[in-house]
Amino acid sequence: MNDHAPRAAAAAGPPPVILLRGITKHYRLGNSDIPALRGVDLCVPQGAFVAVRGPSGSGKSTLLNVCGLIDSFDAGSYSMSGTDVAGLDERARTLLRRERIGFIFQSYNLVPVMSVADNVDYPLRLLGVAPGARRLRVERMLERVGLSGSGARRPDMLSGGQRQRVAIARALVKTPALVIADEPTANLDSATATQIIALMRELGREHGATFLIATHDERMTTQCDQVLTLTDGVLQ
Amino acid sequence: MKALALAWHNVLRNRRRSVVTILIATLGTASMLVAGGFTLYTYDSLREGAARDFGHLTVSHPEFFRRDEEMPLQYGMDGHVALKQRLEAHAHVKRVLPRVNLSGLVSNGEKSMIFMGSGADIAGEAAMRGQFLTLVSGSMPGAGARVPEVLLGVDLARGLSAAPGSVLTLLATTSAGAMNGVDVRVTGTVTTGWHDVDQRLVYLGIDTAQYLLATDKVSTLAVFLDATDATPAVLAELASADPAHGYKPWWEQAFYYQSVRALYNRIFGLLGIVIALLVFFSVSNTLAMAVVERTREIGTLRALGALPGELVAGFVREGALIGLLGSALGMLLAGAVSLSLRHAGLEMPAPPGRTVGYPLYVHADPWLYAACTAAIVALCACAAWLASRKAARLPIVQALAHT
Repeated sequence: MNDHAPRAAAAAGPPPVILLRGITKHYRLGNSDIPALRGVDLCVPQGAFVAVRGPSGSGKSTLLNVCGLIDSFDAGSYSMSGTDVAGLDERARTLLRRERIGFIFQSYNLVPVMSVADNVDYPLRLLGVAPGARRLRVERMLERVGLSGSGARRPDMLSGGQRQRVAIARALVKTPALVIADEPTANLDSATATQIIALMRELGREHGATFLIATHDERMTTQCDQVLTLTDGVLQ
Repeated sequence: MKALALAWHNVLRNRRRSVVTILIATLGTASMLVAGGFTLYTYDSLREGAARDFGHLTVSHPEFFRRDEEMPLQYGMDGHVALKQRLEAHAHVKRVLPRVNLSGLVSNGEKSMIFMGSGADIAGEAAMRGQFLTLVSGSMPGAGARVPEVLLGVDLARGLSAAPGSVLTLLATTSAGAMNGVDVRVTGTVTTGWHDVDQRLVYLGIDTAQYLLATDKVSTLAVFLDATDATPAVLAELASADPAHGYKPWWEQAFYYQSVRALYNRIFGLLGIVIALLVFFSVSNTLAMAVVERTREIGTLRALGALPGELVAGFVREGALIGLLGSALGMLLAGAVSLSLRHAGLEMPAPPGRTVGYPLYVHADPWLYAACTAAIVALCACAAWLASRKAARLPIVQALAHT
């Protein structure tokens, strides 16, 4: 068994945010089974900034989807901050995502009919936070990502970098334990990508959030606590 | 409030498609309201007409409605004057009018025809029933004439070549079985709107009818109430207090009303179902397209922690909003149609068997409007639920990969 644990994990403390043991995942394509993950073991402690890299089809997105509880796995175990998620039904997994996991997508995935503020507000609404507290947290978050004063604007009025900032604000506004980011800089120009990486790193530290990032971006990997390489569904 | 605002923004996403869907809901609502309003008007008119023609209640000998009479007035009523007075003392009873049914031959000296006669207090009937007979020529019979006066159905008058002023002879079997005759003068010709009735109708005073039948009995007492809705309660009260007589409410005699109601219920019920299906499939189609377009967004919101039910609720709100807008516009449209028909003076053609048409009115009934709005909103919400529930349960990874 090959544990990929950042150095921070060595210290005693809270249970790791991600603890995978022997995770396997196959996709069925016609009559054949395509293995996406083969016995992946992974331990990511709280507050770590971890990149996963690998060629296309190596299983990066599958690993992120499994860790983000939006996809199931065929075998193995997954403990998230001490909670065994293998036995959870769909509803419980959804509620766990709602409470503990934020997502940043490559194409931002903002809701176009919602204003910037409403997009950031959405996770808090799901959590049932009181309107006054929500407003305050959204304002603060938008200020932190450099978009104060843009709350009333629609996503289509923003640049790519600004949209990704909104996505970061949406992911972090509920102070999640884990943020899953799938190629967050892939659609951005070089300068903007650098800013976004710095912002994610900075806010991750501020909020104590653990980041698991799939990326091809070398600038991103240099900023991470640990860089994992996935090849053919196996962590190297 | 925020959820409703979001639903509204989503409705506005594809404006042209939403406008078309809202217009379909509008036309569906308006069609339902106009058809329903016309049906209600027809029911109300027929109901009031039947209650006016028969009297809200008909009091008779207990056997009158059960058996055929072998002799005229075999099951007639004695002592009807006292009963009339007693009935008129009831708070809800406006008036009680005696009626005598008779039949026989009417002759102009050269030609005889069968008649169906109605002996009645003509002035009293007019006071209660308004213009219950349409005078085609001449005038209504007056009081104190030396020769008894009658009204003839317009087709019977034509058959006898009779006109106002003509003197005819009525022949009938008396209640004792003998033949009797009386000369009468025609004061006018009338139409009831029913060709079959107009071919046989003789309307005469109750004294003349009783004289012809050689009796002082009457066939029935027609009881007129102050409100048609009071009929069931008054019927129960009077019938239980007077078991010696038979009491029959208007609806048990109004076969035409019952058949029209049954027919219209089927026709407009079917029409309603067709309209409802049209609206349902239209909204369903619109929202199904919206759901497909927003599959990726559904995946995103599911990833963020929204439960499928919460997403379906959003689509249901959109559907309900479309239904609400459509039904609001539909109500305005139906109200405008109803109002303009009030002033247009349009007439429906005469129904089968009748000779006169009736005004084309459409009732604007608040309950009908409320029921239609509720039905359309529920229908649209249901269509939205059906269109979105599958997509909301799609695996998140699959939804996020949707292009």
